[in-house]
Amino acid sequence: MASEKRDKEEEEVKTDDGSPKIKPRPIVQLGIFLVAHSPVFSVVFSAAGVLALLILPLLAKNTYISENALMPGSARSMLSNRDVSDGSKLVKDIKNYWLNHEGQGVEVQKLIGKYMSDMGAEVYYQKFHPEGNQFHPLHFFSGPDSYTLLDNVSCASYGVNVAGIIRAPRGDGKESIVLVTPYDFINGGDYEALSLGITSTLFSLLARVTWLSKDIIWLVTDSRYGDYRPVAAWLTEYHSPSFKVSDLLKCGELNTADTFRRAGTVAAALVLKVDGRSERFEDTLSIYAEASNGQMPNLDLINVVNYLAVHRQGFYVKVEKVVSLLSSSWLKIIGEIFEAVGKLARTLNPDWNFGIPAADYLEGSATLASSLYSQALGIPTGPHGAFRDYQVDAITLKISPRFPPDSKTRQHDFFLRGARLLEGTIRSVNNLLEKFHQSFFLYLLTSPSKFISVGVYMIAFALLVAPLPMVAASLYIEGCKALTKSTDNPTENLKSWKWLDAAKQVFALHLLGFIVTLLPYFICQVPGQHSPRNRSIMWGTTSSSLLLITFAIIPGCSPFSSRHHGTNWAVLKSVTISAAFIGLCLMSIINFATAEIGALLLVPTCLMAQPIKPALRSRRIKSLLGAFCSMVLLTIGFPVMFFAISKGLFGEAVVGLSLGGEFWTWLESLWAWKSATYLYIGMVHLPCWLLCLCILFHPS
Amino acid sequence: MKIVILVMLLCYSFAFSSGDTTIHTNNWAVLVCTSRFWFNYRHMANTLSLYRTVKRLGIPDERIILMLADDMACNARNEYPAQVFNNENHKLNLYGDNVEVDYRGYEVTVENFLRVLTGRHENAVPRSKRLLSDEGSHILLYMTGHGGDEFLKFQDAEELQSHDLADAVKQMKEKRRFKELMIMVDTCQAATLFNQLQSPGVLAIGSSLKGENSYSHHLDSDVGVSVVDRFTYYTLAFFERLNIYDNASLNSLFRSYDPKLLMSTAYYRTDLYQPHLAEVPVTNFFGSVMETIHTDSVYKAFSSKTSNNKINSEMPVNQLSEHDELQKANIPNDELKTEKQKCPYTQMRVDLHEKLEKFENVDTVVNLGIAVMVFVVMISSSLL
Repeated sequence: MASEKRDKEEEEVKTDDGSPKIKPRPIVQLGIFLVAHSPVFSVVFSAAGVLALLILPLLAKNTYISENALMPGSARSMLSNRDVSDGSKLVKDIKNYWLNHEGQGVEVQKLIGKYMSDMGAEVYYQKFHPEGNQFHPLHFFSGPDSYTLLDNVSCASYGVNVAGIIRAPRGDGKESIVLVTPYDFINGGDYEALSLGITSTLFSLLARVTWLSKDIIWLVTDSRYGDYRPVAAWLTEYHSPSFKVSDLLKCGELNTADTFRRAGTVAAALVLKVDGRSERFEDTLSIYAEASNGQMPNLDLINVVNYLAVHRQGFYVKVEKVVSLLSSSWLKIIGEIFEAVGKLARTLNPDWNFGIPAADYLEGSATLASSLYSQALGIPTGPHGAFRDYQVDAITLKISPRFPPDSKTRQHDFFLRGARLLEGTIRSVNNLLEKFHQSFFLYLLTSPSKFISVGVYMIAFALLVAPLPMVAASLYIEGCKALTKSTDNPTENLKSWKWLDAAKQVFALHLLGFIVTLLPYFICQVPGQHSPRNRSIMWGTTSSSLLLITFAIIPGCSPFSSRHHGTNWAVLKSVTISAAFIGLCLMSIINFATAEIGALLLVPTCLMAQPIKPALRSRRIKSLLGAFCSMVLLTIGFPVMFFAISKGLFGEAVVGLSLGGEFWTWLESLWAWKSATYLYIGMVHLPCWLLCLCILFHPS
Repeated sequence: MKIVILVMLLCYSFAFSSGDTTIHTNNWAVLVCTSRFWFNYRHMANTLSLYRTVKRLGIPDERIILMLADDMACNARNEYPAQVFNNENHKLNLYGDNVEVDYRGYEVTVENFLRVLTGRHENAVPRSKRLLSDEGSHILLYMTGHGGDEFLKFQDAEELQSHDLADAVKQMKEKRRFKELMIMVDTCQAATLFNQLQSPGVLAIGSSLKGENSYSHHLDSDVGVSVVDRFTYYTLAFFERLNIYDNASLNSLFRSYDPKLLMSTAYYRTDLYQPHLAEVPVTNFFGSVMETIHTDSVYKAFSSKTSNNKINSEMPVNQLSEHDELQKANIPNDELKTEKQKCPYTQMRVDLHEKLEKFENVDTVVNLGIAVMVFVVMISSSLL
């Protein structure tokens, strides 16, 4: 305050002296400098943003266990052969059942339930409806759905989950750990049965140990109806009990009324799946962590599992990666360049050892790309996503054994190691006193043991969007000058309100984007069965007609209106860029990965957008090139187009009209999972893209 | 003669106030574990091990203030319910039948700790929770937990700073709550906790220097946690070889710490402590080895104290020499002499007692004393 006052006084003194120049503050000077040279800086910043994204794999840090209380691997495993034989027996019984019976009824569930209760657990069965999520525009961000039990349910199709609870002998019963094993009770695969065997082995141990402080719940879900839905149904029932007796409870022979049991708050959940045969020499453990909207479980949970799997049980641990990137030659070249730079830096100063081998870089980028993609998509990568909706840290572990499912001799060892891994993890989580909170929630993985934290990856995004406000400011100044020249009457020329016309146009198109976003809901309400292709055509035509109506109603919006009505394109572009900037920044808070990928697409498009007519008229190579670039970028930026291109990158070529159907299905999945990416596409990307189109065909 | 005796009594009360001549009367131990949570199991085990050791070496339970911030024995995660071990061989249960915890759980706060040291308690606090030491007490203060540069964390919520500790010790000194104080701290950067200490008679030992960590000794893979810290482990290893009659010196304890085994450097602060460490037996702090005073009958030795309190202590200093002569006159041989020099206080009492015994008419002396007092009071009041 005091210094401010002094500054003012100084300024006053200066003006009193009559000196005409008041020196502005350094920050203002810097701002003016940046705005004045915005073209150069925007190129520099955008390039730096892309470069920062490319060097992210180099900046990845090794993961470490951040929470002291976890202490993974400090306790000796207590699994005995008796436990393993319990597990093997269950698997054998289930297999025998399949040999003698055809799958119907709830016999397998009862069998598992019997095993659980023999071990001393409280067992109950839960019936649920397989009905999936329905798109409802108001349900975005509204938290987990309350799947209200419908009154007029049919008993034709319903699933039955089995759950067993082991109470901690001396625990306070306030917390619990959930183990989930999806199992198809009708078709029952051999590999799936192995996951039951591992968990049963573990459960047999946990039923007799004295060190539990949290209750253990083993949930065998009915995976006939997908992996996700049964878990979600169980969680809903667990967290929001329904006091209305549903007809569903009386269906079939199993009466499950009033039997649902609970333990305390879920501290962590592990989903175990066994499938396929490992391609490697070791058993492979894949970790899936992404939940809806790019939410991740606490990094400590992944660390614990990874530590125990690698250092104790000798699994080969991997996370998803984009396989097609591994063979891409341009990425390899970049990796080699980085390697060479790293080596050079090391010769200059031995302390600078940031260089990594090109092969590692390639692996890291492929994993990072997959991590970014999964988070950006906003669709959970497994049943663990259902837990994230209740703020529970959960991951899916998919184990691929190296032996065929009927090999008896290997099975024993496999059960032992799998159960030991889970035992160690549970013992670590059991040691926790609070929720997971020490380690990161915002991160990208580049390998199971390397991560990039939010502080690092935000830099790439910040650099990418930094040019937007600069360019907006410089364009605004430019546009104002142009307007002052063009208007004859200086009294009309209210300088500060010039952007209002442009803002009206931007607002109109954003409103349109909002309506287009909501359209699928109404299209779904149209009676009759329609193929996704037809629906997408319906959507396309409605949207285009709405666009034409907007252009017709609001004069000045349209790129085809007369020059007199049209706003100055520079001011329009300035407001567009501002809107894009705000949209991207908001999105980066909700889902960083979406914002990052969106920015990669939207920032160059917005920056390059300029009227094509003057460029054609001038016939200068530079302006022609600029016009060509902006056209190309706009073509790529069209959501459907980008979808097709990314499909092509992932190796699935889609052409023709089926593309519409595919795109519709994709969008449907987005809103079904309540992905914010859908909102982003409809309410930020699409309007900005349309505005850039307006600028491209501006009649100036 | 009577006057001389009276003068001697006054002189005796004068000697009462000077700290250096006070003799070692009793031993106290304050053992503090400051950290909660299951993964800090070892801190509780450390403290309980020390508790067991000092108890074995003779400090009775009523003179041990045991503060444990958490109860690992009853933790649901403990594979051995109601037991605490400091070794993976599980041979010794530290949490047996005779463990008296004075402050437990959330009672272990910086405030309570400072109250115990300084003796400023609320009235309702029972005697068993108070450090009722006197100016002849040797106190062992053992603390373990998580520390840093000039602080020690209590309960994950608050900190004891080196200034707080130094201030408390200074108050203790002022209030004559100890003769000698040994502070033993097993935390990271333990040495920094002693930086502000100024009071004489304080001996401090810490497990690590500034910038060093103190490490745990080993992990018990059945319990799943580390069960003892290195510094405490090797301290205990030293004491396990001792019994109550051993004469091992503090110096030998301090020399037993090997930085390689500790993985940190043990630090001693001896500048405030006058006696030569090689001559001080460890049992001065870690045990309770008392000199036995032979008396003819029970409680007689203390009878003089009551009369002493009545007397005004306006006394010329030169009377001291007279009293010394008297003392010397009673010494029969050299061997006894050394013993008596060790505790002049006791000897003086004995002498006085003998003198009083020889008197035939004790009543007269008392009456005379009262008369003198009345006289003194009259003079002083008339002067005012």
